Amino acid sequence: DALLGCHRSYRSRPTHGIGKFKYLLPKEVPKKRKEKVQMKEISAGTEYQYGDINIQMTSYDLCLVEHFAQYVHRLCNRLSIQVNESYAMPTKTNEVLFLEERGSKMQLDAVLTTHQRVVQIRGLSSTFAPILLETIQSNQPEGVHLLMKQHTEADFKSRLKSRPELEELLAEMS
Amino acid sequence: AESMTPGSVSPHALCYFSSCSSWLPQRVPLRGSHWQSSLLELRTSLPVRAQPKKKKKVDVKKEQAQKERMKKKLKKLEKAAPELIPIEDFITPLKYSDSNRVRSLPALSPEESERRVLLLKKWCLFKQKQDEAEKKAIKALVECQQEALKELRLESEELYQAAIQRDEGLFPFERDGPSYSPPLPGYDPPEGKCLDITKVYTQ
Repeated sequence: DALLGCHRSYRSRPTHGIGKFKYLLPKEVPKKRKEKVQMKEISAGTEYQYGDINIQMTSYDLCLVEHFAQYVHRLCNRLSIQVNESYAMPTKTNEVLFLEERGSKMQLDAVLTTHQRVVQIRGLSSTFAPILLETIQSNQPEGVHLLMKQHTEADFKSRLKSRPELEELLAEMS
Repeated sequence: AESMTPGSVSPHALCYFSSCSSWLPQRVPLRGSHWQSSLLELRTSLPVRAQPKKKKKVDVKKEQAQKERMKKKLKKLEKAAPELIPIEDFITPLKYSDSNRVRSLPALSPEESERRVLLLKKWCLFKQKQDEAEKKAIKALVECQQEALKELRLESEELYQAAIQRDEGLFPFERDGPSYSPPLPGYDPPEGKCLDITKVYTQ
């Protein structure tokens, strides 16, 4: 009985691995775990190269700033400048009130939303930097404010949600 | 008039009983002066019906327990990864996705579609010329720069090295976009203020 129930096939025999079928099934993609938002290392750059630089474009008009950011990204790709990240900063909403001519009451004029896009580049050479700046400036659309600065940890932290409970506890502990 | 304080009931009773039954002489504490209301000495009190205060041990234990609780809370909060603030630009508001109404566009005449296609082609050509001009300009700039640096190197090595160094004063660089019209002379803006009503997200 035990001899009949045995399914062993020896490695040298041609019947080895006869019952296998998993290799025929399509490969299962491993479950994507939520990636922790971690700060990437900020490079300082050498004497002849700049480190991480943020090109921040701000405007009230969403379409303009979005298209300009896409243009800058493609330009950097074309000029083989390494682009680390290309992200959007949270939008800011402002209520503009103006004082009426006759009266002391503030009247609501408009609700403006400020949008900001950031393209982060690395390894910009010192000789090519002015050329890139010149190209970006000549294509700058109206109403879009351009700002280029070094990337810092504070810039990264401004993208994260604030945790008042954690800060309170830390203040209490120390 | 005798003052009856709750603490001093029993010695009075004792005093009374002792005066009645004289065969048990007992020592009775006398009051020092008429301001001293209780028969007990200063700063003493009879043991009240409660546990005597264990001052040192319980406090330290409580503090330690509290500290541990706080540390545990901190660990739990620190374990949770920080989240990015959601960007409102990329979230379509629900009111635009609920309704099913569809816009019906009018049919285009063949001349109109022909005109549009030709316009599109002209625009493509224009954009291509623009892009090529830009590429050519960048190439020319780079070439001129390289040539100039080469000549500089031949002239003096020191100046060449200084030219290659990165410019620290370049960043941060700020520039406002060009405006549609120059600023109007003598424009008096109305008084007002700006309120920041951005939604604050907390984790």
